[in-house]
Amino acid sequence: MNPGVAQPESSAAALVQVRGLHTRIGAKTIFDGLDLDVPRGSVTAIMGPSGTGKTTLLRHLTGQLRPDTGSVRVDGEEVTKLSRRDLFALRERIGFLFQNSALLTDFSVFENIAFPLRQHAKLPEELLRDIVLTKLQAVGLRGAAQLMPSELSGGMARRVALARAIVFDPMLILYDEPFVGLDPIALNQVLRLIRTLNHTLGITSILVAHELAAIQKVADRVYLIANGKLVAQGAPDELARQDSPWTRQFFGGEADGPVPFHYPAPDYATELGFREAHR
Amino acid sequence: MNPRPSYAIGTGLFILLGFAALAYLATQTTSVANIHSGDSYIVKARFQNIGQLKERAPVKIAGVRIGDVQSIQLEPQRMDALVLLSISKKYNEIPDDSSAAIFTSGLLGDQYVGIEPGGSPTFLKNGDEMVLTQSAMSIENLIGKFLVNGGPKSSSGSSAPASSAPPSSGKP
Amino acid sequence: MNANLRRNWLLQGVVSLGECGLFFVAVAGAVPKSLRYWRELCRQVWFVGAMSLVIVMTCGLFVGMVLALQLFNTLSIFGATSELGTAVALSLFRELGPVVTALLVAGRAGTAVTAEIGLMRATDQLDAMSMMAVDPLAYVAAPRFLAGIIAMPLLACVFNAMGIFGGHLVGVTWLGLDNGTFWGNMTSTVMLQRDILDGVYKSIVFGGVVSLIAVFQGYTAPPTSEGVAYSTTRTVVFSSIVILAFDFVMTAFMT
Ligand SMILES: Nc1ncnc2c1ncn2[C@@H]1O[C@H](COP(=O)(O)OP(=O)(O)O)[C@@H](O)[C@H]1O
Ligand SMILES: [Mg+2]
Repeated sequence: MNPGVAQPESSAAALVQVRGLHTRIGAKTIFDGLDLDVPRGSVTAIMGPSGTGKTTLLRHLTGQLRPDTGSVRVDGEEVTKLSRRDLFALRERIGFLFQNSALLTDFSVFENIAFPLRQHAKLPEELLRDIVLTKLQAVGLRGAAQLMPSELSGGMARRVALARAIVFDPMLILYDEPFVGLDPIALNQVLRLIRTLNHTLGITSILVAHELAAIQKVADRVYLIANGKLVAQGAPDELARQDSPWTRQFFGGEADGPVPFHYPAPDYATELGFREAHR
Repeated sequence: MNPRPSYAIGTGLFILLGFAALAYLATQTTSVANIHSGDSYIVKARFQNIGQLKERAPVKIAGVRIGDVQSIQLEPQRMDALVLLSISKKYNEIPDDSSAAIFTSGLLGDQYVGIEPGGSPTFLKNGDEMVLTQSAMSIENLIGKFLVNGGPKSSSGSSAPASSAPPSSGKP
Repeated sequence: MNANLRRNWLLQGVVSLGECGLFFVAVAGAVPKSLRYWRELCRQVWFVGAMSLVIVMTCGLFVGMVLALQLFNTLSIFGATSELGTAVALSLFRELGPVVTALLVAGRAGTAVTAEIGLMRATDQLDAMSMMAVDPLAYVAAPRFLAGIIAMPLLACVFNAMGIFGGHLVGVTWLGLDNGTFWGNMTSTVMLQRDILDGVYKSIVFGGVVSLIAVFQGYTAPPTSEGVAYSTTRTVVFSSIVILAFDFVMTAFMT
């Protein structure tokens, strides 16, 4: 139960370590005993049907949401027990790319990226400008610095959000569905950025995504979550070859399987009135 | 450093405008004498009938406002009304034999306390009582007197000061 | 348990009231931290106050004018039109100024604040802030709350001044009352403490209430388009009710 004692070596190697995670939201059980490790310097993909709780898992990792029971360790710190101040300190070392970019609509692209710097570091204006432009250059949008978020396309907004997420050179970046709604060109641009950040800066990345082809290009390891539990894990190619009902449905693209095609409903014939309901 | 300095300027102007409006209201729609300030002193007066006199009604000498009515209470033993007048310290040379009367401003206006200065060389101090008082005139009384006396000869206005108050009431 | 609570609208009302109270405590607690973001506070005072000036001044002018017209008719029955200035000033300072200004601000700025915060919530901007280690209560909620408290009394004073101007326009310029009588009777009756400052105190309370309701509704708006729309409506409805109820209570205590 106590991972720090039971698996000392693994906790040293893993940047993120989740043990026995249980979460309920309202009446719904989201996690029912989830265990998960993310090694330092790796790109880890998390897959699973919609509404499984992938976003919720990322929110647990940053302490935005506390689980009912279980332990979440990030860089050796028990997130579930951190004070607000320590949590904010931890978050400065984590970049988070939101599902819908979440740029501040009142500020220009430049000010959006400068925002965390202005709040936490008292930098001279020229240095701040240099940092922001460096980050924008890294995502290829230096020319768009003075645009407002409403003037950006989806892919550009995603890249600006990524520039904002890396402004403090974080140790860990969490990507929540970074490819959704992108055209193939933008998708490949974001993919390239994720890979570059991981390879050149050694930033550990956790990637929630559904695009198998993209994941195969970038991820070292894939976790497949369903019904609040880990149902499969492994390298992307290995997982695609695995013969479990989950992987078959997920990677084989079958419409029916462990995740049913039909939403739970009473018997069809009974509801149409062809057969007496069993009393 | 500042991304949008225009906000700061606009906000500053707005706040100035707001305070200018407040200053305008305070100086142009009130008179300075109306400011309730701490520097006032209390004088007592007893009336047999205060009519429609209310708390905060003006106290005037020669028609000039010098203070207001602070409180009105019934004095149970004597069954008369004890009225505390709050008078501005500016007017601290009111002779102590001055008389107080309750008047009506206009025909149907509010009632106020008018002070008729006397000739004594000593002045009213905080807590003093005015001995000579005259109650409010009620129209019913006026009409009644008119009917009984059968004419306007008996002057109604200065019917002897209703001072049932003993003259010994000077200092408590 | 929870589902049962939700079904009963009365209990639901008590629950929201409690939530709003707790939210007030949280926002008030974040106020000291939010003073670091004075620039944001400045921007909100600009938005709530300066941007409401046009509507407040226009309405103040018309309210003053109509007040003079109506009161002139009533006062002339008693032959007391010389008190027109007094009547206009007292009605404005003690009641109409604070209340109408608060209703206008609730409609113009309160709704905008609710919609803005609701959309920030729906587009994860609030979460993004807390991920950047910036407390959205201190950066988003508290400045808007304070801005309401600062801007409302100033707007009410502007409203009153415009109302007096409108009343003077109708009473003196149009209906031909004597200018000296108009001002003289007003100044001899109106008191700074009792009439003007009590109105200002009312405004300060209304400013806090309106901006608290607006921020709370935005913060708790369901992250959907109809959720935000519904919360915006509720800001106006709740603000109006609470303004008028507080007005009664405060008037009862002040006089
Ligand atoms: N704030 C919330 N209130 C109520 N239910 C929520 C909330 N957040 C998430 N959920 C529920 O939790 C489940 C998991 O959500 P989420 O983590 O967003 O799924 P995913 O990202 O895997 O699609 C969903 O069924 C959703 O209804
Ligand atoms: Mg999600």
